[in-house]
Amino acid sequence: MTSLLDAPVKLRLDASDNQRTATVTATDLDGLLRRVAQRDADAFAAFYDATRARVYGLVTRVLRDRGYSEETTQDVYLQVWRTAESYDPASGTALAWLLTLAHRRAVDRVRSEQAASQRESRYGAATVEPPTDNVSDAVVASDERRQVAACLDGLTEVQRECIELAYYQGMTYVEVSERLSANLATVKSRMRDALRGLRNCLGVR
Amino acid sequence: MTQPHDGVQDGDLLGLAVPYALHALPDDERDDLEGRLAHAALNEADAFYDEVRAVRETMALVSSASAAEPPADLRQRLLSQVAGDNVRALPTARQESGRRRRTTLLTAAAAAVIGLGAVGVGLSLWPQPAQPSTAQQVFAAPDVHTISGDIPGGGTATVVFSRDKNAGVLVMNNVPKPKPGTVYQMWLVSDKGETSAGTMDDKAVAPSTTAVLADLGNSKALKFTVEPGSGSTQPTGQVVAELPLV
Repeated sequence: MTSLLDAPVKLRLDASDNQRTATVTATDLDGLLRRVAQRDADAFAAFYDATRARVYGLVTRVLRDRGYSEETTQDVYLQVWRTAESYDPASGTALAWLLTLAHRRAVDRVRSEQAASQRESRYGAATVEPPTDNVSDAVVASDERRQVAACLDGLTEVQRECIELAYYQGMTYVEVSERLSANLATVKSRMRDALRGLRNCLGVR
Repeated sequence: MTQPHDGVQDGDLLGLAVPYALHALPDDERDDLEGRLAHAALNEADAFYDEVRAVRETMALVSSASAAEPPADLRQRLLSQVAGDNVRALPTARQESGRRRRTTLLTAAAAAVIGLGAVGVGLSLWPQPAQPSTAQQVFAAPDVHTISGDIPGGGTATVVFSRDKNAGVLVMNNVPKPKPGTVYQMWLVSDKGETSAGTMDDKAVAPSTTAVLADLGNSKALKFTVEPGSGSTQPTGQVVAELPLV
């Protein structure tokens, strides 16, 4: 099975109303990020356009608030601009580096907001939301989305629940175990099994 | 499992790789885990980071399922913001091999330097004494650069420098004092080796410390080491941080 990482990632090079569609691979993203490290503003704009829907979508999924999500997305890309030098291709793809950074910031934000407000009233529901389907093929290729959706469907209900709570709601695995009244070892093994399933299904080596 | 358990934690590092990679560890457990990783056998740590890498690559692909377009005006706001932003945060010295690196976070030091830079530029518009200070010259230079890095023991070092002026200003914020009987020594690193750029003892290291680097020469980096007594002629001690001057 070929890895999706090697597959072309379609993206839109945005020149406001003069939009072109181009095909950029994961390797190209790495190259763009290296140019960003050299203070190349055009490369930064192209990097943003290639990845903005993934970042904003993930941040929104975690924060579920438009204002917070915009602020956090802006912070994420400012951090990209300032710390692109710290990206090391040996430790993973630029896309994984970016989304790790975005997830970290979103989780930090959700935890600090929750500390300040009532967790249950605002972020209570442990439901798995259906994937959003409001992006064009130009942003994320539809065959990739289909494959990911199929892989998520392939998880068991309890595995999906753990991913939902831990990854998308920003809970620690300790909080997940409390929520599900399951012991810590069970929660850890569900998370591990969920990731192993997704990884195999998506062909990540 | 036959290996010993330490504390309340399961001794198995690898079993924590998934919650670690998903940012699902409580902060204290994460810190504890990172401490254990720093002292773990290399193959054990490598296996851990391999697992973390695979989880992050997997979730990067999964992000296509939640993709959503941000508001269009965010793009313009962001591009204008970075156009005027010359802060750079860089990783500090690579003390540990391979993937055992921590991302550098921008901290208050760099922000403080920006403020300082703005003051410097502002001041240069006012009538000046015949000879502006080295720091003022650096801040006003057209080729001014800012480099910032975390000090592993805490705090941040930031260098603002200009090749045209052949000088730089070092700002250290919240850096812990050196242990009694030792100093921090700064070294300018070039192809020819390391040249001492001064020392700071426990009295010199305040919550915010500034030092002028008068002669950058062909140096490519500024390195900090811990040296015994009042310093050494060549670096001998532990490297605390290294900031590339590029």
